[in-house]
Amino acid sequence: MSAAQALQRKFEAESAAYQTIQKDYSKAVESRQRLDSQLQENKIVQEEFALLKGDANIYKLIGPVLVKQEKAEAVTNVDKRIDFIQAEIDRVEKQLKDLQEKTEKKRVELVQTQTMLQQAVGQK
Amino acid sequence: MAQKQIELQDLDLQQLVEVKKQLEDELSHLTSSFGQLKQAQNRFADCIESCKAIHEKNEAKTILVPLTSSLYVPGKLADVQKVIVDIGTGYYVEKTTEDAIKFYNAKVAFVNGNLEKIQTTVAQKQGNLRSLVDVMQYKLQIQQQEQKAAAASKA
Repeated sequence: MSAAQALQRKFEAESAAYQTIQKDYSKAVESRQRLDSQLQENKIVQEEFALLKGDANIYKLIGPVLVKQEKAEAVTNVDKRIDFIQAEIDRVEKQLKDLQEKTEKKRVELVQTQTMLQQAVGQK
Repeated sequence: MAQKQIELQDLDLQQLVEVKKQLEDELSHLTSSFGQLKQAQNRFADCIESCKAIHEKNEAKTILVPLTSSLYVPGKLADVQKVIVDIGTGYYVEKTTEDAIKFYNAKVAFVNGNLEKIQTTVAQKQGNLRSLVDVMQYKLQIQQQEQKAAAASKA
């Protein structure tokens, strides 16, 4: 019985760990989606800047006020932002892959423990 | 599509239920996206209408400027040549009204393209869901017949 109890405890710990990994995974998926929409928005702004004449007036919203900004500065700002978002996407992408592997490993462990537990209970 | 049918036939009822749930989730997500895009399109169309109201004939006319949704102050339309357009991520660009209308027209067309894409996807998913439900009903019928046969042989 104590072996079965130990297995039961192990099983519970492993399933808790599995759930944590899954929570992390869905969080990562969420941030991946958010980054993607930010990237899209910035790309649209970049395209719009490309269409503008050099002397066009560009304003940036800072808090509740619009502040005038040089076109060159705005363009480099958006370019930098796109680079940053791209780097973030790569990072989250790596994290996702990592978590996927972890999930798979944990699942195998979980199934193993479960079968062992069932056997232990069955033998009793 | 025919291949899909065969795949569906191979699944048991429980798996079918799961696939059905997944399809339904996707469909509801797509329809809500469709609604949001439709709203965005309407907002852009409103912007076009507003731009059209800003022309020489209305120069120096008094207007009511909304400070909040329930507080207005009187003002005068001083500049009928230019408007400031939100192009996203906190950036605003000064444009002539014609350019602004062009800008919003491009936006409407862009959203429209996405709407059409979603619509075809929705139609496809709905087709998938229908064939899935057909297979499910077929399987259910067979199961019931088997149960009846089993009950009959027992009796």
